[in-house]
Amino acid sequence: MQAHPVQLVVEDDLRRNRLTVFFRILLAIPHLIWVFLWTIATFFVAIVTWVMTLIAGHPPAALHRFMCSYIRYVTHLEAYLHLVGNPYPGFVGEEGEYPIDLRLPEPGPQSRVRTLFRIFLVLPALVISGVLLGGGSYSASSKGSSGSARYSSGGLAAAIAVLGWFASLVRGKMPKGLRDAGAYSLGYTAQTLAYLLFVTDRYPYADPTAMLDGVEPPPEHVVHLVRDPEDLRLSRLTVFFRLLLAIPHIIWLWLWAIAVFFTVIVQWFITLFGGTPAAGLHRFLSKFVRQALHVYAYITLAANLFPGFSGETGVYPIDLVLPEPGRQNRWKTGFRLVLVIPASIVSSALSSALFAAAVLTWFVALARGSAPAGLRNLSAYALRYGAQVNAYILLLTDAYPHASPLEGVPEPQLALEITPDAPEPVAG
Amino acid sequence: MSRRHVARAALLVALAAIWSVAAYLLWQSRVPSSLHLPHVAVDRYFTASQLHAASSYDRFSTIVWAVTVVVELVVFAAYARWGMRFARESAAGPIGTGLMLGMIGFALLWLAELPFDVAALWWQRRHHLTHTGYVSYIFGNWIALGAQFVFLCLALAIVMGLARRLGNWWWLPAAPVFVALATLSAFVTPYLLGTHPLRDPVLLRQARTLERIEHVQHTPIVVQPVRNVTSLPNAEATGLGPSRRVVLWDTLIDGRFTNRELRVVIAHELGHLARNHIWKDVGWYALFAFPGAYLIARATRRRGGMGQPEAVPLALLALVVLGLLALPLQNAISRHMEAEADWMALQTTHDPTAAVGLFRRFVPTTLDEPDPSTWEYLVLENHPTIAQRIAMAQAWRLRYSGR
Repeated sequence: MQAHPVQLVVEDDLRRNRLTVFFRILLAIPHLIWVFLWTIATFFVAIVTWVMTLIAGHPPAALHRFMCSYIRYVTHLEAYLHLVGNPYPGFVGEEGEYPIDLRLPEPGPQSRVRTLFRIFLVLPALVISGVLLGGGSYSASSKGSSGSARYSSGGLAAAIAVLGWFASLVRGKMPKGLRDAGAYSLGYTAQTLAYLLFVTDRYPYADPTAMLDGVEPPPEHVVHLVRDPEDLRLSRLTVFFRLLLAIPHIIWLWLWAIAVFFTVIVQWFITLFGGTPAAGLHRFLSKFVRQALHVYAYITLAANLFPGFSGETGVYPIDLVLPEPGRQNRWKTGFRLVLVIPASIVSSALSSALFAAAVLTWFVALARGSAPAGLRNLSAYALRYGAQVNAYILLLTDAYPHASPLEGVPEPQLALEITPDAPEPVAG
Repeated sequence: MSRRHVARAALLVALAAIWSVAAYLLWQSRVPSSLHLPHVAVDRYFTASQLHAASSYDRFSTIVWAVTVVVELVVFAAYARWGMRFARESAAGPIGTGLMLGMIGFALLWLAELPFDVAALWWQRRHHLTHTGYVSYIFGNWIALGAQFVFLCLALAIVMGLARRLGNWWWLPAAPVFVALATLSAFVTPYLLGTHPLRDPVLLRQARTLERIEHVQHTPIVVQPVRNVTSLPNAEATGLGPSRRVVLWDTLIDGRFTNRELRVVIAHELGHLARNHIWKDVGWYALFAFPGAYLIARATRRRGGMGQPEAVPLALLALVVLGLLALPLQNAISRHMEAEADWMALQTTHDPTAAVGLFRRFVPTTLDEPDPSTWEYLVLENHPTIAQRIAMAQAWRLRYSGR
């Protein structure tokens, strides 16, 4: 598949200045005012660009440059706000200025039909972008003398900003997993903006691996997925009734979860005092985590086959590798419920993305009989992270969930040993 | 003929005899066997326009029903032929795959029947018998399909689990398990209805008197709010032991029926409880469950038996066919019990005039045809016809009042 014309460039070194992190939102106020004004101008420019692209078949170069600057500027600012980048961004959206940057295409021919319906075609991408980027919303109501106010925020990048704020203040460094997840959210949003503002007519591509091409992948987590990324086929009939077909599984999982609740309490005491979880309980909990993954994959259309009921390994197209019972840090075991809170926040944000991806995949799969690769890989990312959180909270491992959208690479098992008899390695 | 065949035949005869005795006992009724129902000329009780409206409504409903049955048979026949292909959509073991195949079969049926269900809804809306909107109907129908899936999966898990252990003899323990589940369902259902106690003091006082006469004291009389969904009047006796109660739809007590007529309704429902009709329902279910399960086991043998998921589509077809074949018999049993409840109501209230008034009012409010054709009567009617119910009230009057 040809690379998307809107490419994310990540040159961030993860270091963060504690002082600017602490005052980040206040420091961004001038930018927020500026972006507000620029957005108003962009709205009118977009209408002109739309008309001219419809007539000429490609956007005018000057307007295209204006849009590119706007998108790049928004990306810089979002990166700064969400702690994905550290330096204070410039105000003009210049290329190569910021460690989280975009490579945007030159103006080229665009399909007139896709241009004409762009505002409707972009809606699914806006939904995904919304759940990835998120934001805050404030609502207030009053009845007579009583009133109520509610503030809510959501989205992966928003969750990452909150967690990253605490982590950066403590460590002076942004955790790589959170940074990668934030960068991915910004990259997808930039592709959506580029599509909406006629910079390109290529649809945004949600695949995390393609988005973060060039970013160093993390080491492989002990809990990771095994799947065939090429298998996108979905049966239309079972897709149509997917939620209903999953009802027996949901009931079964719910009943199983009751047993798991009591099992994990026992396991917690065993692991805390013995340092190692009991093997039998570990197997039982592993099967539950695997079964949950199979069922969620089925419900969210990340997999096609009707899953079994026993959480067996090696029988489902999206499977989970889980560790054998081993020694665990007692401190991490003792405070597991507290430690898991940040991961649960990220997992919750990713669940929204998973839900949105599932709904959109449902429509696409009914029409095409297959899942869009980008959404499928986004779902796999969310499922993988959810499984890592489950494995962590159910004491299968003390390895903290890794939020990076990139799948990890195995660390080399053996260092290259050069013995006197072995031939010298030859360069080239 | 070998000794084995003789033993088999003897066993079959013995089982048939047990079945017949049990059926005979369940068939016992308080309605005098010597009761002769006089002929009722429906045009004496109903206006020509009422009869025309009922007939017209009934005709379309019957056509939709017939088409739906044909669709059901075609869908399940096709599914029995080609449904095994869906097994490749499963990574579950044999039982899990069987559950999935069962659900897909019903899902296909739901899809195929949806246009006819919507047509039936349109017809009911046109006659102001329901207020349900199309979207909420389809969505509600979809949710109901989910509930159906749950029961289907439970049933298939039991059958397939037993079949994988016992082979072709699965039906022997499965039938009592299903009877137990039916009993449990009859016990639990009243708690799931979302009712509230009857608040009308006059009706309550009358109900207490009727309960005393029918020896079913302390039976709760409750009201189920359905007004937002339908205008059809209805009542039912439900539950077993501590859960038994009489349920009146709020459309029945909305002023369209007089207190005397409502008294007949309550007496009728209490009659069901007094004559243990819910238990008898369970009994009849048991009598059908054993041969039904056996026949399904026989039908699915050539697909490897019910332990194999490939047998599930065929089992669904067998189930539907058996259900259709048993329908006239089931309707006859139901009509028999309803007639007994009518008789109990007459014996309790001694008010055939109110009973006739009630039945007469049913025609304009429910658009029930008072005297349907014979085949409709056999296949569709699970209550005596309005004409028969009026005739019974007249027969009671003749027998006890001499008028």
